[in-house]
Amino acid sequence: MSHSHASSPTPVRTPVYHILLALLGRDRHGLGIADKVERESEGAVELGPGTLYRSLSEMAEARLIEPVPAPGQDADPRRKYYRITADGRELLAKETARLSRLVDTARAQGALAEQP
Amino acid sequence: MTPRRIERHVRAFRLLLWLYPEWFRDAHGEEMAALFETRLKRAAGLGARARFWWRIVNDAVSTAAALRRRDTGKGGLRVETLLLDVRYAARHLLRSPVFTVGAIAILAIGIGANTTVFTLVDALIFRPPPWDRPESLVHVYQDSDDGEPSSNSFPATRDMAEVDVFSSLTAWSPSNASWEGPDGPEPVATEYVTSSYMRTLGLDVQRGRWFSAEDDVVGGAPVAVVSAPSWHARLGSDPDVVGRTIRLNGQPVTIIGVGPERLTSTAPPLRTDFWLSLSATLVTGDAQVANLERRQDHWYQALARLAPGVTVTRAQSAMDALAARLAEEYPEFNRGRGITVFSSTDVRQHPQGDRALFLAGGLLSAVVLTVLLLACANLANLLLVRGLSRSGEMAVRSALGASRGRVARLILVESLLLSGLGGIAGLVLTRLMLSTIPSLPLADVLGGTLELAIDGRVAVFALALMAFTGILFGLSPALRLARTDVGQALREDRRGATGGRRMVRLRDALVAVQVAASLVLVLGAGLLARSLGALQTVETGVDVDRVAYLSVDWAPSGLPADQIQVEMEALRERVRALPGITSVGLASRLPAQPSGSTTTEVEGYVPTAGTDAVELDFAIVTDGYFETMGIPLLRGRLFTEDDVPGDDQSIVINQATARRFWGDGDPIGRRMRGQGSQDWTRTVVGVVADAKVASLGEGSTPMFYFSTRQFGVAPRYLVARTDGDPSAILTSMRQELTAFRSSAPVNAQGTLAEHFGTRLGPPRLAARIMSLFSILALLLAGLGIYTVVSFTVARRSSELGIRMALGADRLGVVGLVLREVAGVVGVGLAVGLALAVLAASRVGDVVYGVSTLDPLTLGGSVLVLLLVAWTAAFVPARRAARADPVETLRAS
Repeated sequence: MSHSHASSPTPVRTPVYHILLALLGRDRHGLGIADKVERESEGAVELGPGTLYRSLSEMAEARLIEPVPAPGQDADPRRKYYRITADGRELLAKETARLSRLVDTARAQGALAEQP
Repeated sequence: MTPRRIERHVRAFRLLLWLYPEWFRDAHGEEMAALFETRLKRAAGLGARARFWWRIVNDAVSTAAALRRRDTGKGGLRVETLLLDVRYAARHLLRSPVFTVGAIAILAIGIGANTTVFTLVDALIFRPPPWDRPESLVHVYQDSDDGEPSSNSFPATRDMAEVDVFSSLTAWSPSNASWEGPDGPEPVATEYVTSSYMRTLGLDVQRGRWFSAEDDVVGGAPVAVVSAPSWHARLGSDPDVVGRTIRLNGQPVTIIGVGPERLTSTAPPLRTDFWLSLSATLVTGDAQVANLERRQDHWYQALARLAPGVTVTRAQSAMDALAARLAEEYPEFNRGRGITVFSSTDVRQHPQGDRALFLAGGLLSAVVLTVLLLACANLANLLLVRGLSRSGEMAVRSALGASRGRVARLILVESLLLSGLGGIAGLVLTRLMLSTIPSLPLADVLGGTLELAIDGRVAVFALALMAFTGILFGLSPALRLARTDVGQALREDRRGATGGRRMVRLRDALVAVQVAASLVLVLGAGLLARSLGALQTVETGVDVDRVAYLSVDWAPSGLPADQIQVEMEALRERVRALPGITSVGLASRLPAQPSGSTTTEVEGYVPTAGTDAVELDFAIVTDGYFETMGIPLLRGRLFTEDDVPGDDQSIVINQATARRFWGDGDPIGRRMRGQGSQDWTRTVVGVVADAKVASLGEGSTPMFYFSTRQFGVAPRYLVARTDGDPSAILTSMRQELTAFRSSAPVNAQGTLAEHFGTRLGPPRLAARIMSLFSILALLLAGLGIYTVVSFTVARRSSELGIRMALGADRLGVVGLVLREVAGVVGVGLAVGLALAVLAASRVGDVVYGVSTLDPLTLGGSVLVLLLVAWTAAFVPARRAARADPVETLRAS
């Protein structure tokens, strides 16, 4: 379960980060994003319908993603597809760098239990 | 999960979407539902689905609140505060699980029991029948031999149809058949109806066609219309059903249509599977064909549409004229036999049965209403107590600046949330209970299978009542708080306040109500249990030990009657040869089982009113039957090989018949005749002792016996006496049948003791239902008493502490508390007794063999209730007495 209402200290809320990540490879619709996020987090992140579509709606408003026409013929015309924007990529990169620094710091301080 | 269930979950989710702002719903609703559906399919099992729903609701409430909060600047509603309240209330309820589970259980029981029973009662008594313009539709009945409106001979319905007060008239006759389904033969309910049926009812088939005039002619192609419920349940809603040929009793019948969706049968809520044309009468046998021309057989009911402008009164006078004409033309069948017209709005099942139906329905409704009352009282009590225990918290909130409205709303939302959850649990319970109804012996009582659906209005009513209770009693402590000074409330709370004097009195009154209501239910349960006991020991007139029976269903074989008789005789010989068998007989019926009766005239007997004839029950038996059943011969002789086919039939009568018609005189050699026959063809050769004829509760009932040698109809029951265990011999009997005719299915079997046991089914069911309700009532009352005493004790803890400190012993303190409870319980018992006496005067017809208010039941019930009350009071009282007085004083 996600706590989307919490004012997280990180600049990017977890669902937003995961959605951006899911759109990196190709355009997807909501259901496709939910599937990919769940698959890649090995089931740990399950975006609820409300969380997912609220995030999509707010992200589109912030121009992190944009709606695009359905790609190809086998696509479902009733679904809305989204593409990550340049702003979105930038945010994703910044956040990834931040997380990466955070992980480095954590590792240096011995946060991984199996380290001696 | 089935697609239908998934669909239902998705529909519930769509309701949840209303939490969101409209623009959001429009933009994403469809896709959210699709995502929901994918996830739902993965949640297998009840627990997983519950967790899944919990996550979904949480996700929806929090995101919807956030979206709405953003929207408020744009002029949206302040739904978001309400949503936060719901979240708050939910968390709060989760923090006191005992209270929450208790309250939801009470709500579920109250709503579930009421919705179930009223769905049943509504279907049986109140729901308007599905036909068009019921006010101009009438039932027409010829009198029975007792002069009561009963049923019609088919020729009489033809005469009725010709009278011009009716624009259309249909005759219908319920019957049974064996249907060759995909899983072997299954019993189905059928109705023979005329082609004017749909026109008369003002309805039409939803597929194919209805019967036409040619289908009314015997000898034409046998055709059927399948009823909508049966089309769905038995034929899988097959779209190509029209033209399909089914086999009923082994004979091919062509389906030509599907009945209207709303019509379950001509006697709703009973369910019929197939309407059969008159051309299909051979399916049921020669007798069904023959009775179409016989004025002495009354197998048909009639429904007629009044011609425009004709009133029921005018139709009645036209039927009076017809009755007079028929009496003149056919005096031997119709002298003194009236015809009565009833508006279809005045009849439920049948004028003769409606009274019992209303009585049973009324009683059942009274019982569940009592349970509902109890549940409401209990919920009220629970909420009052909880509200008071939270007055401190509420005062803090007020002191911190929460408006009174906001505080009240928190409690309101909590009550509504509880009611909502309780309502859902109640509906789940209702579904469970309704699904068990068709498997209850109720079908036996009503003579068919019920077709039931949850009644939405009743569910809403029960839910609304519970929600109202919740709001009223949840809110009153909050309102009281709102009126008083916050500082005062805070001080009170530290002393363990339980509310003002008025609150205490209200709680006491609620407990008294619960005690009274449970006493009535416990008393009722006790009475029914004793009545059941009396029925179990009733004298059946038969020696029940060591007898087994078997009933063979020859219908699928399609054999003619005389051939069946040969087969049954052969089977009898084989069973007779089995080791351990002492005697074997065949019979058309078992004792205490409703079955055939016939209109008979008795030589020298003049009936007091009505026609010349009396309706007598009869059985067709072979030699050996009386010996096997242990029915002793009192006079004359039993059937012998001399009773050969011919004009003169020997009959054996029971003692009740002898006493009714000939008093102390000798009945041997006296004669009877079938009504319509010119000759006295039945001669009494013997008198046997009485055995129960149609039911266990009946008094001594007249009946007579024919010999199979002279009757030409094959009895279906094989009865055998053994010198060992009757259930063991049953297995050998079945093996004999299988070895002999493996194609003939057994449709009933058992020991005679078991047979009488199943005849006790309906009273046992009634007793069980009452016991269940009274146990619920006792539990609820016990809980009510417990809460009240707990709080009485808490309120007086400082006083009790002082008493203990001053040297009062524990026993004294417990006694003090118990005395206070005794007053409340005493009032409740008195009120309950008064109500019970009132109710008892109305149920005299229902209980058998017990005077309605016998001292044993009464004393027992009062004792049980006192015991429960006392236990509920004792636990908190003892806890108070055990407390350390110093601690108690310091705490206050």
